[in-house]
Amino acid sequence: MSQPAYHLRPNKAVDRLALVDAIRCLEGLAELAEYTYYTLGGPYLEDVRLLYEFFPQIGMVSLEREEAVLERQKFHVPCSRVELKRADLKSFVARYDPKDMKSIFWLDYTGLEYGNFEDFMALLAKVAENSMVKVTLRAEAGDYFDKPDEDVGQNAERFRRQFGAVLPTPTTDPPRGLVGFATLLQEMLQIAAQNALPSATGLMFQPVSSFCYSDGTGIMTLTGVICHREKRATVRKAFAKWDLANLDWKPPRRIDVPVLSTRERLQLQGSLPCGSGAGKTLRAVLGHLIEDSPKKTEKRLQQYADFHRYFPYFMKAIP
Amino acid sequence: MSKTATTQYGPVNASPVKSFFVSMLTRDIKLEEAILDLLDNCVDGVLRSKRQHSDGKPYRGFFAEIDFRKDSFSISDNCGGIPWNLHDYAFRMGRSEDRPRDAPGTVGVYGIGMKRAVFKMGAHCLISTHNGQNQYEVEIKPEWMTNETDWMIPVRVAKKSMKTPGTTIYVASLHPGIAARFSEDSKVFKSDLERMVATHYAFIIDKGFEVKINGGSVKPRPTKLIFSDQKGGMKPFVFQSRTRDGVDVFLTVGFTRPIPTEEELANEQEETRYSSIDAGWTVVCNDRAVLYCDRSELTGWGEAGVPRYHTQFIAITGIVEFKCEDASKLPTTTTKRGIDASSTLYLQVKNKMRESMRMFVDYTNKWKGRASEAKRHIEGARALPFEELKQAAGKLPLKPTTKTVPEGKQYRPDLPLPKKTESTKRRISFTKGADEVRCVAEHLFKDRNADPSAVGERCFDIFLREAQK
Repeated sequence: MSQPAYHLRPNKAVDRLALVDAIRCLEGLAELAEYTYYTLGGPYLEDVRLLYEFFPQIGMVSLEREEAVLERQKFHVPCSRVELKRADLKSFVARYDPKDMKSIFWLDYTGLEYGNFEDFMALLAKVAENSMVKVTLRAEAGDYFDKPDEDVGQNAERFRRQFGAVLPTPTTDPPRGLVGFATLLQEMLQIAAQNALPSATGLMFQPVSSFCYSDGTGIMTLTGVICHREKRATVRKAFAKWDLANLDWKPPRRIDVPVLSTRERLQLQGSLPCGSGAGKTLRAVLGHLIEDSPKKTEKRLQQYADFHRYFPYFMKAIP
Repeated sequence: MSKTATTQYGPVNASPVKSFFVSMLTRDIKLEEAILDLLDNCVDGVLRSKRQHSDGKPYRGFFAEIDFRKDSFSISDNCGGIPWNLHDYAFRMGRSEDRPRDAPGTVGVYGIGMKRAVFKMGAHCLISTHNGQNQYEVEIKPEWMTNETDWMIPVRVAKKSMKTPGTTIYVASLHPGIAARFSEDSKVFKSDLERMVATHYAFIIDKGFEVKINGGSVKPRPTKLIFSDQKGGMKPFVFQSRTRDGVDVFLTVGFTRPIPTEEELANEQEETRYSSIDAGWTVVCNDRAVLYCDRSELTGWGEAGVPRYHTQFIAITGIVEFKCEDASKLPTTTTKRGIDASSTLYLQVKNKMRESMRMFVDYTNKWKGRASEAKRHIEGARALPFEELKQAAGKLPLKPTTKTVPEGKQYRPDLPLPKKTESTKRRISFTKGADEVRCVAEHLFKDRNADPSAVGERCFDIFLREAQK
């Protein structure tokens, strides 16, 4: 079975570490030991491993519908605090009763279906106050433009028929670029969130971060906290100092970290963090280009400066 | 009854109370529909202004701008304003019998739309209008709304001069629920309102009218039907009539897309694939869609031999248009966003709707499981919006129908039937676990997401070759 090769997905690794930061901010709202983490962790349970490393006090549940993947999860399970469940997310959410227990959900989809928005809405209506929900969606505009047997108009129409209920305007054409498409998906999630938690319920979905990136496939990911509307300021305060926070539905922040060797990273390390114009500064420190032009090199090094704390080292290891 | 009863019976007071209009009647209508009522008034203004273009875009140059925010709502237009001779109708609750005759084609009938929309949203309202030589404004204050005895509303010369003839309605002191929808729920509210305008006003926007919501222009989302110019190609059913009452009826039903494959049907049962379905009936009265893609008994689904709507019929769409200079003859409800299901005219036309729908239901049933074969019936065909469809229908050989009421002319397409192959072919259908299907798909096609029917068919072909050795 084909699963993404994790060592080839540096941007996803950054996103995963950003989640660790977001969870750390939750400490401003409640004891982390009160939370349970639910994930669609895939065969390697990479996020489970990471979260256990940082937050051993959080209980964890992995949901997996395929028997074969579940077997691999059993092999990779990083700690005894994780419960591996064979379950379909939709059925799980339908039966889920939080009993006022706080949760952190990562709906880590690899595709893009209207059912994903339905799951998201169903979950928002159920989770306890101060719970966190992170949803990850495929953001490949090419899916709607590269179908050889259909023209552009038909593809756009297919998109509108599929997602009409959550589109900001009924005649929306899917944008072609990653950031544009990811921004549209974020707007669709905002509409879904307002549908699930209208103001009359007293609850709301407060966004805390959103990113888009591509490790070969375009991805958009949004994280937020479910809170009472009158406690919105408290939630915002808890995340206000986080440099990656997006508290006002601004367009998703692009993660596009450069591929650097360990030697290059060590060379740059002593100059980080550096203030404005980090790209220029780091190019001077490095002394050579990593892209085909100085401008592109500076842009990528700016990305490195922004995310270097989240950038994992991928090393060859002897098992 | 006891003869000793001493109760003195006198006349009872049956006069209306203001709260009935201000806070009861408003419950019968959704906020979005109330706003569409205000748009209807704008369009009626265009019809009164007699400045329409005659190039197929009669509303070109006319606009309505809707603006909503946390503490206010406004709608401004350049559609001619409210004539002073209609002020009694415009501001009075309900329509008086002696009101002046309105312009042909306007849809205001009951005299409640604008007031109900204002009361629905807030307690303070300023209506400014410029029509001809008249520029006046009417202010409805919160005290007026709660005063049961004072029914008079003062009118004064407009404080601000309006350059072009038109009307602005400004509502403040919003009710808390409305203010929340305009602020905290604004994203979803704007999306819902825009969808309703794009669908219910598709015909009018297509004819040149412009609607802006918070600065953004709304594009129409018209219903389209497949129409093939080729001989034997897919065409819709068409019925045209003019009733004795002077109502023009145009009915058409056909396909919007290819009929669904077995795979699509199975997937839809498992998970919602399409959140927005264009199937069903759209009913249009004087250019306004009063029903959009309805799939209930109201439009004939699930009654008199027509099956209940099911995803299998996702490709079937119909449009009925009623047109009349006297809007009271149209089969609409007071909200103008619904059909008066007991209207004789509508019941007669509904018979035609069911009759025509059965043809396409039958076609869908006959070709079920052969969607790829059926696709060739629409190859090269165009998807035409309503106005173009009406023009194309003019070239069809319409035949008179005298046995049905209302009488009219109709075109019944000759929908292709599959060749009788039952004696030589058999259908195989079975269900297997998703994991197992993915496993076999990977084995056969190196693609875990391969079409399950293709997986089943390949398995059969492999074993057929084995068996034939």
